[in-house]
Amino acid sequence: MSQVDHHQSGISYWRGLEQLSDTPQVRELLAQEFPGYDPTSVVADPGRRQFLKIMGASMALAGLTLTGCRRWPQEHLAPYSANPSGHVPGFPEQYATAWELGGVAHGLLVTSYDGRPIKIEGNPSHPSSWTIKGKQGSADAFAQASILEMYDPERSRLVIERTAADKRGKNSDWEKFDEFATVHFGRMKGQGGGFAILSEATSSPSVLDMRKRLLAVFPQAKWYEYEPLTRDAELEASRQAFGKALRPVYGLDKAKVIVSLDADLLGTHPNHVRYAADWSEGRRSGDRGEMNRVYCAETCFSITGTVADVRLAVDPARIDMLARALASKLGVAGVSGQENLSAGEQKFIEAAAGELNASGGSGVVAVGHAAPVAAHVLAFAINQQIGAVGKTVTLIDDPAGDRPTHVAAITGLAKDMAGGKINTLLILGGNPAYDAPLDADFANALGKVAVSIHLATYDDETSRLCKWHLPRAHYLEAWGDGRSWDGTAGVVQPLIEPLFGGKSAIEVLAMLSADKVTAGDQIVRRTWREQFIKGGGNFERQYRKVLEVGFLEGSQSKPVQAQPKVANLPPAEAAAPAGTFFLKFEPDAHVYDGRFANNGWLQETHEPLSKLVWDNAAVMSVKDANTLGIETGDVIKLEGNNRWIEAAAYVLPGQPVGVIGLSLGYGRTAAGPVGDKLGFNGYTMRTSDRPWIVGGVKVSKTGQDYRLVTASLHHLIDRIGMNGREQRVGGKNQTGVIVREASLSEFKKDPSAPHEKTQGRSSLQLFDPLRYNGPHAWGMAVDLNTCIGCNACVVACQAENNIPVVGKDQAFNHREMHWIRIDRYFKGASDDPQIDVIHQPMLCVHCENAPCEQVCPVAATMHDTEGLNVMVYNRCIGTRYCSNNCPYKVRRFNYFDWHAKPPRKSTGVLWPGMPDSQQLDPKSIDPIRRMQFNPEVTVRMRGVMEKCTYCTQRIQRTKIARRNAGEDVRDGDIITACQQACPTQAIVFGDLRDRSSRVVALQNNPRSYDVLGELNTRPRTRHLAKLRNRDEAQSAPSGQAAAEHHAQGPSSSSPSPSQSPTLG
Amino acid sequence: MSESADAAAAASTPPTASAKRFIFPRWANYALPAIAVGVLGGLVYVPVAIGLGFSPKALAVGYAPQQPVPYSHALHAGKLGIDCRYCHTTVEKAPFAALPPTQICMNCHTAIHNTSPRLEPIRQSWATGKPMEWVKVHDLPDYVYFNHSAHVNHGVGCASCHGRIDHMDVVEQVAPLSMGWCLDCHRAPENNLRPKDQVTNLAWRPTDHPLAKERNITDVAKAQELVGNELKKQYGIRDQAYMTSCFTCHR
Repeated sequence: MSQVDHHQSGISYWRGLEQLSDTPQVRELLAQEFPGYDPTSVVADPGRRQFLKIMGASMALAGLTLTGCRRWPQEHLAPYSANPSGHVPGFPEQYATAWELGGVAHGLLVTSYDGRPIKIEGNPSHPSSWTIKGKQGSADAFAQASILEMYDPERSRLVIERTAADKRGKNSDWEKFDEFATVHFGRMKGQGGGFAILSEATSSPSVLDMRKRLLAVFPQAKWYEYEPLTRDAELEASRQAFGKALRPVYGLDKAKVIVSLDADLLGTHPNHVRYAADWSEGRRSGDRGEMNRVYCAETCFSITGTVADVRLAVDPARIDMLARALASKLGVAGVSGQENLSAGEQKFIEAAAGELNASGGSGVVAVGHAAPVAAHVLAFAINQQIGAVGKTVTLIDDPAGDRPTHVAAITGLAKDMAGGKINTLLILGGNPAYDAPLDADFANALGKVAVSIHLATYDDETSRLCKWHLPRAHYLEAWGDGRSWDGTAGVVQPLIEPLFGGKSAIEVLAMLSADKVTAGDQIVRRTWREQFIKGGGNFERQYRKVLEVGFLEGSQSKPVQAQPKVANLPPAEAAAPAGTFFLKFEPDAHVYDGRFANNGWLQETHEPLSKLVWDNAAVMSVKDANTLGIETGDVIKLEGNNRWIEAAAYVLPGQPVGVIGLSLGYGRTAAGPVGDKLGFNGYTMRTSDRPWIVGGVKVSKTGQDYRLVTASLHHLIDRIGMNGREQRVGGKNQTGVIVREASLSEFKKDPSAPHEKTQGRSSLQLFDPLRYNGPHAWGMAVDLNTCIGCNACVVACQAENNIPVVGKDQAFNHREMHWIRIDRYFKGASDDPQIDVIHQPMLCVHCENAPCEQVCPVAATMHDTEGLNVMVYNRCIGTRYCSNNCPYKVRRFNYFDWHAKPPRKSTGVLWPGMPDSQQLDPKSIDPIRRMQFNPEVTVRMRGVMEKCTYCTQRIQRTKIARRNAGEDVRDGDIITACQQACPTQAIVFGDLRDRSSRVVALQNNPRSYDVLGELNTRPRTRHLAKLRNRDEAQSAPSGQAAAEHHAQGPSSSSPSPSQSPTLG
Repeated sequence: MSESADAAAAASTPPTASAKRFIFPRWANYALPAIAVGVLGGLVYVPVAIGLGFSPKALAVGYAPQQPVPYSHALHAGKLGIDCRYCHTTVEKAPFAALPPTQICMNCHTAIHNTSPRLEPIRQSWATGKPMEWVKVHDLPDYVYFNHSAHVNHGVGCASCHGRIDHMDVVEQVAPLSMGWCLDCHRAPENNLRPKDQVTNLAWRPTDHPLAKERNITDVAKAQELVGNELKKQYGIRDQAYMTSCFTCHR
């Protein structure tokens, strides 16, 4: 017992507070296979009669399945009537396209299989998405999951007409709408008074062109633009500092020092794929002894914070103060404000300023979207002051910057609507009735508009209040264009005809302005002919080239020379009154602003820090939770701005004291059956004066509970396992050897620094080692130094390998099916706001001595000649011994026919009621949903184990293609789905036989190690230890910071709690 | 002692009116042996019946569904000698030997038999752009990923799996296409290899090969062994362990 007690205080790396507390209940929880599972929910009466009933049903079903012993149903083959030229049926093709999210376009490459787009990847040539230029491109989780949105059977299919009396509306069609529009808008021609258009943010040249044309037809009409996740503070700041709308583009690959003041550059920034790729460039150089250093002061724990070398958790009022202090320290004229800093802040600013000064212009200072305008102005000035502009910071013209701020637009419009000045409102995308600021009271104002038309992907909250709902074509179905963060212009090329007859925004605009060009592709061509390809005669050839690569080369915006002026800074922000909190809104990692609510893939990815699925929560610090007596899952009431909301609390280590973080986009009521009534709607607290932050919020417990499902403790090593590890590895508290790290300075002195805690491993063999004489030996390297935990790999794997969604209830039972998961480990004291985090992607490591293979009674999992630990689905009988014996816990069992099951309906008597529906009834999986499946991967049935295959289908496809051509597979030919998606090249796959391959170089890196290597499993996947670029000499003991916090209340008074950055 | 006393006591209890003592009839003596024979017979019969009756050989071989147009391979591939790849164009490139688009039929049939009522569905398809719906004959389970290009490019002839298509008026399945049957060849590919230029020659015989002719081998099996082994080396066919690995066909 004393040994166990010793652990209570001494676990160095841990995943959840529950684990750290290590109470008997928690231990029991860890020991259970399905902690949330109550067998009595399946068998209500476990008596003899019920038993016989279920047995009888099972026998009858077994009899039914015998009907499988026959020739399967007749299938038909339907070749083209006339084959499209160049198309080889059954051969996947890739097309370049782009998509716009929040007004910023991203370059994509979409794989199409016989006319069905099935997978989205980053465009390897596009400046916004390449990770290895020309070879590999990354797309984030949202972009990749957008394919599921296209195949969402719940997507709107019909034009719907509603009247005040008929709220449900009647189904209509485009012809009827056209008739109506011809009359209605025909009358307005030449005037357009009282006509307003509300668009979501867009950089699309074609939309801007159509806007011009529409306003020419209706000269008095007004155009507004609103995006809930607005970044307008930066836009406003550039207008103040430069007198025009400029956008900073950072070159993080060249940056030696990156100072982020609440800027989540790697996570929620629109250009985060580019930034993550560039940042990782400066991390990989750690092996050469050089690494960039990231300073991050932040108000909610973000991805960027997790990889920061020096992190400072502060409340939102301090960001402005820190910007002033940094500017004044660096000698920006006319700024003062170092006096109010706490010791920790002082230290942070001094260190950051010192390095920025020394960097010789290779520094970047970025300020987050939630910060006030003044902080952004100062960031412009600082970057100018340190000489970064022109080197690591480029200023370009904002492609769509000539507009009022989003918040001003929506409140102005709503005012006009409420005042009866608007009689016709066209809403292009967006969902303002749900996400407009509360004081705009948009939903009510909408009722005052005589004719309201909403073009939307779903029949959502706004559509239900409008007279007309028009189904919007998905970007994979319609032509369009857009400009990425650096201004590169690209064409949105559709891959499929609209499944449900939707139209795009430009088509609707053409329809309403009675343009003679009505087809989307013609509109885009016209724009491009007029704006980009002015050559004349060879337009077609050049345009084809643009379609081929996905963007116009060299079209990124030219750098603008401008001197920032710092003048008339408003007084520094006030701290929150004592005893109150700041409520900070965040873009959500699952649903963005709420638009992806009906997307099961995204709902089921783990939020990078809380590891929550299917929900958002009010994230609060450990210290605040302790003070208020709140635990994760308690429903708390947040009061402020004369409003209140209730939300479930999630206690997150590392969250700044005095700040409640709540992501936006949940609490939808008309998202669809997957996304409705989940989580808590932060928009109901959001006002236009400060859209990201609410100050002076009171927090109280309601006494209610809410079931939050977090995967933070899933697949954790339990006590028995830990004891076993101690015996093998020796020494106590050796959890750290699952994830390893070292500081750069230690690593430079001694390359074995990350590994010093281990005692080597046993190499005794129970069985003869496998011998391979095949031409290849596949292996993988996963670099913890560059992994940022962004979930791109998880969604990539889900899309590539037909991985089902299980739903919240089943996720609670630890039954999620992801083949790759990202384990997030904390290190340090739980109440230290400057806590360290390591992200560790965990997927089947393909052990040479695979414990799973040794226990399978039917040889359903075994080794092949290239070292893959393969899973033979049609042999598997579902004993789950393999999963039980897998020390990495990467095997997933199909408890149900997941694909045939709606993810939200998962409880109740499922298994007697739903026998092998995928087999007995091929139509049990929605026919539209089925179109997304990758035909090269088996769709697994109930009762079968599955796991990562190293994308064996990709290996096979490449090998066959190469061998057919009489060539050998070359390094870099085969890219697994996770590797492809990773923006930071943290995952590298390749042939261990090829001594010159990248994976061999990485596996020979001194940082590489075998996870759980002491078990002598000999994994083919090796992980590489993380490096932190910290000056150990400056380190402040983290315990001290924690102790300081105990002494103070939340946001007590100015100066705010002295929070010292951990420099070690 | 006490037990037997109890039993005796129980036996001597007089039966009540409603529960008369039941005596099995004499024939019941044969019931047990009859059941035993039935069970033992069943134990043999059922597996044999399933094994034979439901085997791919019994179920799949000879499957010859009717097609929407009575297309005759015997006429086109046999009598007219059209190469397989004229219609099945993708066989060297793609996993699937795609069925020809209607366009390919119309290459000839705009001129030949262009009024034949049997070809009406083809003309319809061509006129409307709607695909022909042919019935799939060779149908593998969905978890099997057979790749035509990998086989055709390594000298496995069409005839090895599809038989003498050029003799068939109605295409029928000649091989069981079971896993065991696949493995027969994957274990010993030399039995089915031929020169790449003879892949679509359905009438090719190993004795036609120059190697066999050189040595005057007239026995087909011997000639195949000689030619097959030579080609196996030439094509760089991997060893048996590799060829029978799960990943070769399953994903």
